[in-house]
Amino acid sequence: MTKNGASTGGGNGNGDASDVRIGVFICHCGGNISDVVDVKRVAEEIGKLPNVVLSATHMFMCSDPAQVMIEEKIKELSLNRIVVAACSPSLHELTFRRCLTRAGLNPYLFEHVNVREQVSWVVEDREAATRKAKRLISAAVGRVRHLQPLEKRKISIRPAALVIGGGVAGMLAARDIARRGMDVTLLEKSPFLGGRTAQLGELFPTGDDARELLAGLIKDVASDPRITIHTNAEVVDSSGFIGDFKTTVRLNPRGVTAELAKAAAAIEACPEQSDNEFDYALSKRRALYMPYAGAYPAYPAIDWASCTKCGKCVTAAGGKGINLEEQPREVTVQSGVIVMATGFNPYEARRGEYGWGLYPNVITLGQLNRLLDKEGPSAGKLSVNGREIRSIGFIHCVGSRQWAGQHEPQPDGKVNDYCSRVCCTATLQAAKEVKERWPKVHVFDFYQDIRAYGHGHEEYYTETAEKGVLFFRYNHATPPSVERDSRNKSGLVVKCKDTLTLGMEIEAPVDLVVLATGMMPRDIAGLVDLYRCARGVDRFLLEVHPKLRPVELAVSGVFLAGTEQGPMDVTEATAAAGAAASKAAALMSQGFIELDPFIAEVEEKLCTGCKSCLKVCPYDAITRDEEKNVAVVNTALCMGCGTCVAACPSGAIKQFGFGDDMVLSELDALLEGYAVVSR
Amino acid sequence: MASVQTHTTAPAATAAKAWEPRIIGFLCYWCSYTGADMAGTARMKYPANVDIIKFMCSGRMDPELIMQAYAKGADAVMVLGCHIGDCHYMVGNHKTMARMPLIRRVLGDLGIEPERFRHEWVSAAEGAKFAELVAEVTEQVRKLGPLNWPQKMHDSGVGHGMDLKPWGEV
Repeated sequence: MTKNGASTGGGNGNGDASDVRIGVFICHCGGNISDVVDVKRVAEEIGKLPNVVLSATHMFMCSDPAQVMIEEKIKELSLNRIVVAACSPSLHELTFRRCLTRAGLNPYLFEHVNVREQVSWVVEDREAATRKAKRLISAAVGRVRHLQPLEKRKISIRPAALVIGGGVAGMLAARDIARRGMDVTLLEKSPFLGGRTAQLGELFPTGDDARELLAGLIKDVASDPRITIHTNAEVVDSSGFIGDFKTTVRLNPRGVTAELAKAAAAIEACPEQSDNEFDYALSKRRALYMPYAGAYPAYPAIDWASCTKCGKCVTAAGGKGINLEEQPREVTVQSGVIVMATGFNPYEARRGEYGWGLYPNVITLGQLNRLLDKEGPSAGKLSVNGREIRSIGFIHCVGSRQWAGQHEPQPDGKVNDYCSRVCCTATLQAAKEVKERWPKVHVFDFYQDIRAYGHGHEEYYTETAEKGVLFFRYNHATPPSVERDSRNKSGLVVKCKDTLTLGMEIEAPVDLVVLATGMMPRDIAGLVDLYRCARGVDRFLLEVHPKLRPVELAVSGVFLAGTEQGPMDVTEATAAAGAAASKAAALMSQGFIELDPFIAEVEEKLCTGCKSCLKVCPYDAITRDEEKNVAVVNTALCMGCGTCVAACPSGAIKQFGFGDDMVLSELDALLEGYAVVSR
Repeated sequence: MASVQTHTTAPAATAAKAWEPRIIGFLCYWCSYTGADMAGTARMKYPANVDIIKFMCSGRMDPELIMQAYAKGADAVMVLGCHIGDCHYMVGNHKTMARMPLIRRVLGDLGIEPERFRHEWVSAAEGAKFAELVAEVTEQVRKLGPLNWPQKMHDSGVGHGMDLKPWGEV
């Protein structure tokens, strides 16, 4: 609590202090308000209320001259409470709080009354609107009598960041933060950096090679002394809050160190074979493995799920660099901010969905990208099970834009009704690459809408069309079907009701069907719980506001980078990562942050230690002091919702700025003289 | 544009005498209050009978304050918050929801008609829903007539001396 000189010392909170001097300023808003509300009359009537020293109007209260006028009146008349009746507080509350600060008054001795959006714009009748405006302003006059000067909370911020996820977005965020001079810890759950991007070949719209692009980023993060990289790292616990997070990380054993000199021989010696997730199970790999040449760290890892600890690799390696008995260990990472870059998983098609799981020549777009990769499982040949491909059918919107009732829901009972955005251009790019490398291959594209929305994306559509890709448009209610083609022993046929030809039934015989599966967020329930992340109905993480506060999570100090937030291509994911890094770095360079002062406070003498408040706090911001048997609010964790205030059975908790006394004064003013009791 | 009818428009001359329902709306700032702003931005017209008191979160909605609104003469009370899943404070509105059956029960015990209390979720985008709710509740209360709970408390003696002080001043 502060006193701002003699003029603001007034008000002891009991609402009848004679030294409360209220100034009321009512805005015409150039007629927006005054055409409906008789502001002169309201000002006159409000001026008669107790403690109101001045009640004035102005054509535009937010204008510079009007603000100067308010400042002058505060000084001239020693005003110590200010009410402004104008537009919505979301627009100008801050403007007027700043005005108070300039005049030397605490900015929280202020109340903003909304007489435009909630009165003049919605009430037709002048009399009713004028009365309503008067009621609302008198409520504010009643309220401000109880206001106390408040200070924003200042919290210092440790200049270190934790980045969770070592894909393209996580690495870029780590690199950008480190370049601004802050320490970064980069965590990757798998044994290698690179994420989903490493599985791609050519990237649209620039035509970059995905792994070349990654190699540059990996070099940047690996060589930066400010960045500590942990692979095989899992977040297991977290405490703290913005400015000072403490994250417990479990480092799962890799089983291999950089000392391993004969990596190739050791891998060769491994007798175990299992599906290679890097190739979406199109190939097999050993239990000791490298996903691709050039992966980082540049030595293999052991997949403990398939390793039998037979020891053959250890022998082949000459006993150096492999430890089959390595144990997990835990480290604690302290950071001021957290950037989440946990990425996506492709939608897993259901068995039977467009022939998926029934026919080996029905694959996903992710798998096709592996086949197109010259270092991929088919060494860049367009063949499946050794059979050359002469015709391909692409089907869009698999696992995206689904309809409840038509598609099988996810475990949470909801279908993926969102558009995955990226798959249209990704499909077109794959089709274009196929046509460029194998011009004789026939390509059919079955789509609902082509959403080549991004800069340079539309070109993929025109180019594929020019190269002879045939497009058929289906309606979601009559999706294409994939069946075995009786005329062609190993081939398939895609049947589609083509809306472009007014519903003509099309049959396209193909050797390969490619399903453009959409994006889904990874299963990060643990992190969602730990950091109390908001999630949308589509299960992606939710930023505070897509326009005003992008890439910020509602939990202060946590930022979002990339596809955990929604389907994005690499361009968009890295843009988000750059934004997250900028915001995180800006916060850290400031060194501290200011939080709204509307937090809860426990009055110890009234608190019975019943713990009711502990149970309702969404932020675990309240603990009990076991010695004193009272509740204690952690002012850094409290977000100021006031839920505990309502739950407290003994009235021991109050919320700054939203006290019961203030609400009761508002009620008194709003209902004054309404219900008269005849005795 | 919502086709919300205005019921409050009486000629100024007669308005002074005509009875108008007085309704208190407790709204959370992030969703419902912004939703009410949205109705304004879209210039939807609705009755002037609901006066808004805002909280940061509907979780702050102390049942005591609802009772106080009736005790001070309100004809009805509305409590509006973010939809479940949209709460700015994650689960503040879950707590609001948990308290509402209690409120309804107490109001029932006191003989206050259920139409005089309304709890709804209104998102920041649901300006039309807000305007329609205000019109609907105003109309319902208009049919019921004045509540005048202070008079009832006085007559029955139940509320004798029920000039409730804010908590903490006991």
